[in-house]
Amino acid sequence: MASIFELPEDLLATLAESFPCRDAQIRALATLLYPRAAPCRNLIVHGTEATGKSAITTTLLAALRDDPGTDLNYATVKSAECVTARHLFERTVGLVADAVQWQGPAPGRCETLAALTVELSRMLKYAERDAADRFVLVFDGIDRQREAPPTLLPALARLSEIIPNLTNIFILTTPSPSLLRCSSPPHLHFPPYTKAQYLSILSRQPPPSSLPNTAPEETAELWTRFAAAVHDSLTRPAARTLPALKHACAALWPRFTAPVAVGTHRAREFSRLLIAARAYFQDEGVLEPGILSSVPSTTKPATQSLANGTAAIAVGAGAGTAPPAKNPNKPKPSTDLSTLLPPTARLLLIAAYLASHNAPRHDNTLFSTWHNPHGRRRRAVNTQARHSKKSKHRKIARKLLGPGVFVLERMVAIYVATRREWVGDHDENNAGGGNGKVVVGVDGDVGMAIATLASLRLLVRVGGGAGAAVGGADLDRGGRWRVNVGWEVVRGVGRSMGVEVEEWLVE
Amino acid sequence: MAVDEPLGEAYEEKQHQAAYIFDPSDAVDDGTRPAKRRRVSKKLKKSEAHTVASTSVYPRLFDGAESERCAHIRQQLFEHTWSKIESRIQRILREANQSTLRQVTSFLQAAPDHAPVGKIPSAFIITGPNIASQDLLFEQLAETLQLQADASVVRLRSGDASNLKAILKKMIHDAVAKVTDDEENDLEVAVSKDGRRFLNYDLEALHTHLKSSPRRHVVIAFQDSEAFESGLLSDLISLLSSWLDRIPFALLFGVATSVELFEARLLKSTCQCLYGRQFDVEQSATIVAKVFKAAVAHSEAPLRLGPNLVSSLLERQRDQVASIPVFVSSLKYAYMCHFYANPLTVLFSEELDEDALHGENLEALRCLPSFRHSVEMAVKEGDIQRARLLLEDDRYLTTYLRDRLEHFRHWAVKFLRILKIITINNSSSAGLADMYLDSLLRGVNLSDQDAEIGESIKRMQPSDSILFLTRLLDVIDNGDPSLGLDAGAGDTEEAVMELSDILADIKRLHQENEEEGKVLRSKYSGQSKIVRTTVVAQKVQLSRDTAALTDNDKLYTDLMDRVLEQLRIVLRVEGAEDLVFNEIWLYDSKALYKDVFIPRPRGVGERALSRPHDYLGCSCCRSREDQVMPTFPTTAVLYQLYLETGSLINVADLWSAYYAIVGEDNEGGLDERTALVLFYRAMAELRVMGFVKQSRKKADHVAKLAWKGL
Repeated sequence: MASIFELPEDLLATLAESFPCRDAQIRALATLLYPRAAPCRNLIVHGTEATGKSAITTTLLAALRDDPGTDLNYATVKSAECVTARHLFERTVGLVADAVQWQGPAPGRCETLAALTVELSRMLKYAERDAADRFVLVFDGIDRQREAPPTLLPALARLSEIIPNLTNIFILTTPSPSLLRCSSPPHLHFPPYTKAQYLSILSRQPPPSSLPNTAPEETAELWTRFAAAVHDSLTRPAARTLPALKHACAALWPRFTAPVAVGTHRAREFSRLLIAARAYFQDEGVLEPGILSSVPSTTKPATQSLANGTAAIAVGAGAGTAPPAKNPNKPKPSTDLSTLLPPTARLLLIAAYLASHNAPRHDNTLFSTWHNPHGRRRRAVNTQARHSKKSKHRKIARKLLGPGVFVLERMVAIYVATRREWVGDHDENNAGGGNGKVVVGVDGDVGMAIATLASLRLLVRVGGGAGAAVGGADLDRGGRWRVNVGWEVVRGVGRSMGVEVEEWLVE
Repeated sequence: MAVDEPLGEAYEEKQHQAAYIFDPSDAVDDGTRPAKRRRVSKKLKKSEAHTVASTSVYPRLFDGAESERCAHIRQQLFEHTWSKIESRIQRILREANQSTLRQVTSFLQAAPDHAPVGKIPSAFIITGPNIASQDLLFEQLAETLQLQADASVVRLRSGDASNLKAILKKMIHDAVAKVTDDEENDLEVAVSKDGRRFLNYDLEALHTHLKSSPRRHVVIAFQDSEAFESGLLSDLISLLSSWLDRIPFALLFGVATSVELFEARLLKSTCQCLYGRQFDVEQSATIVAKVFKAAVAHSEAPLRLGPNLVSSLLERQRDQVASIPVFVSSLKYAYMCHFYANPLTVLFSEELDEDALHGENLEALRCLPSFRHSVEMAVKEGDIQRARLLLEDDRYLTTYLRDRLEHFRHWAVKFLRILKIITINNSSSAGLADMYLDSLLRGVNLSDQDAEIGESIKRMQPSDSILFLTRLLDVIDNGDPSLGLDAGAGDTEEAVMELSDILADIKRLHQENEEEGKVLRSKYSGQSKIVRTTVVAQKVQLSRDTAALTDNDKLYTDLMDRVLEQLRIVLRVEGAEDLVFNEIWLYDSKALYKDVFIPRPRGVGERALSRPHDYLGCSCCRSREDQVMPTFPTTAVLYQLYLETGSLINVADLWSAYYAIVGEDNEGGLDERTALVLFYRAMAELRVMGFVKQSRKKADHVAKLAWKGL
């Protein structure tokens, strides 16, 4: 042994090659892990999303394990896969057993931290092993662990005190000062990439495809400038991660270079290309196609949609001055509840909205026919103009505020009061001829409609009993509810029934 | 237990009565040992009866005078006919989902090839708001995917998913148990190779299981995805996506509203884990129309359901959140009611034996209004002999009945054929339902009430009329299997011959004119009038002009006249109500259906409280509209007072008002202590029924919870 302190240099070199711009972190990590360097007991690796924490840690550990010169073994526990703390413990034990190829008796249940300590000690401490070999236990994303007890992190940190040769690595987003409740464990920060780093990483990877009628060098240069533009316009303000930038570049590249492919612009004319593709840099539509890359009702697979977009742009560019059209495949959003719900449910939804957004003291004015000789209800008078002059406090329109809570009985009362007017207007002749009378009243069907709205989460139960009755099974009239749709939706629903909901709202 | 069971027994006996006084005390009295022994023996007998013949459910009608056999036949008839109808409906429902099934299957089969890495392929099935009816769809999906896409399918409902652990437990259990199907394997699977037991919510177990029995997909179907708590769903999806590199998950979502609304509820980061496609199922309106064809209008359906009932059923499908299973069970209920309560349904039976045709049944037949009407008609026509025979000779009546029932069968087929012909032009089958409802009772007659149809046929362009006639002849020649119509012209063969001749003529004329480049028209078609525009001194003058008809046009006009004439012969049928004995095969009551399928518990309770006489039927409680009587049950008295209060009720005021009604000042009044006891009891009852609750706003007040009429 030549020196007390040494690092596996060639191993680190290959690692640095595959993870560019992370030299410092890799070296630091290797120093803190390599048995012949300065191995530590606990290590906190932190940094924001997609900065290479987990990838570098696991790759380095795998490389060290496979290195014949070192006796190092490791196991990685991903908290994202563990549902409870107990699940985490059992997985830890299982993974460690797999890693050390445990031959002894199968570990039993492992419900608590104490049991975890016992099991790990059995496998790591008392097993016959070299004094020099180390075991590294990586807890990936431990700060996101579900149902974690408050003592979880400190207790895990104590494991390495009980078991010599054990190194714990905690990978998390932001460490708090007293995370492990032990004095100054080493912290290793993975900072977000800078613009220069982003560009150097991106320029290592060639553009998805070489451009026609352009030299490869020109393409590469255009790619770099393009990546810088994408970074400045999209990544800096919004998506700050490398995968997001890669995705954005990959998605925009064909659209951006479409004029070059068609031949209207040349690859050197970067600013003209940028102006032609300006719309894409301002709009996220292309990058965020929504939940589902191919929700469109068309039955084409997603891969085609990109090609279609390109073709459409090409046509647009070929036509001349026309700016690139929006993604032609974008479906019209079908958020229109009015076409989805049957009339009774729609009426109930409006009634619920009114109940949520009108104060109960206005109910008499709005819905009562008592004081009005003609049997017509007084509509709400829009008094906002008067208010804004007099009062110093600007009042926020109720419909802009969150929905209020109402008692179910009140909503049903509003439904009954409004139904006669709203439906009566439409069905007067129909009802007169066919059924003889307009059935106003609450029967099983109304209950069913309310239950349906509740199960669609358009109405939600609040307060006691909300959790008990998932899907709105409990239709107790004394229950407290809230409407869960916004003004735009309700207005649309109202108009589909010929009702201007605005007239029924008191400002 | 010993006390409870007699109560249940007493209830069981009474539960089919419209109303009864619930008095537990008399049942409890004989809840002693001997009574119990007796009851047990009775139960035994009942179960024996069940095993011997599960048939004696239908009661003997005519106040018990109906023979046991007739009741039996009625029940069998019901079971037989309904099972046929139901199988037709089932076939339709299963077929309706076929295209969705195919699409989803092919999507999932192809998903591994084109889904981006790290995204879960997910199919969003837009089912419409009646999620409850989609069980069949998901059942079929599970079957198909298991067979064709080599997937193991787990169906989840919002009900069995209160938290993440519970969902995972169910998922793993179902996915593992589906394949192994027996306990031992199940246990084996929960243990890893080195003998560790997995937690029952550990996806590692599923992973291990998949190693031993590999599958292309593990499909998780969320049947009512909107009802799942969105946080839970997001959590689950991100968990599944973290396992995606080891377990080939795929998701199915049943979405009631729209994918966009559903998406808005999930976390953005969750959405990025999904790679989805939207699928639609067949519109419930079209399925309802198909079911209508197969169950209501079908020629083999023995019962004609009247427009009153059917239109309210269809309306309910349109206006309410009612599902197709509800529609089907409503139809079933109508059948049940008819066969259960109408003794004459025994006459549907194929072999009308003497047993069915004697005594009470014949008597009942003679009481039918349609029969009386026909006798009166016979008298009016001077056929006294026949009228007498009908009334007196049982044998003659039997023959007549057979003849009429036979006639009904012909009529039903003819009616359907006519409907089909009339609705040839509007392709939607909803038109058929409307037409059916319109003309079932009054029949079809082109010369009077349905003259409009005739007019529209008359105005047809030659190309249209050729198409119309071709289709018409096609319907007559081939029938319509979806309606159960056989081929054949029936009694209108001559007219059909004539019509096909006319069709040939029209075709010839049309061709001739086309060769000459002219337009063939009749004097009825709209183009016969031409509007001429003349500009005179900067003013536009419109003048109408009748275009001269060519010879061919005149010929065409004649032909169309003849078509109409023939159609008047072909398309003529009397209404159901004009047929004798229509009471046997016509059912058109919606009151029963409404009571059962659209209950109004609140209304019933309110009525019972405000007019107890309606239910109790005692003389002391008879009152005029909304008048309180001291003899009312105390709760009813309190309820009347309750209706007059505001939202907070002062209990002391309520008491004094109550005492003023029932107190000693009145005739036969109660003393204060008795009244107070009754008052307390009634208040407690009101509270139990949910009318009032304790209020914290004011001392000695209760809050009013229910308003009348809601």
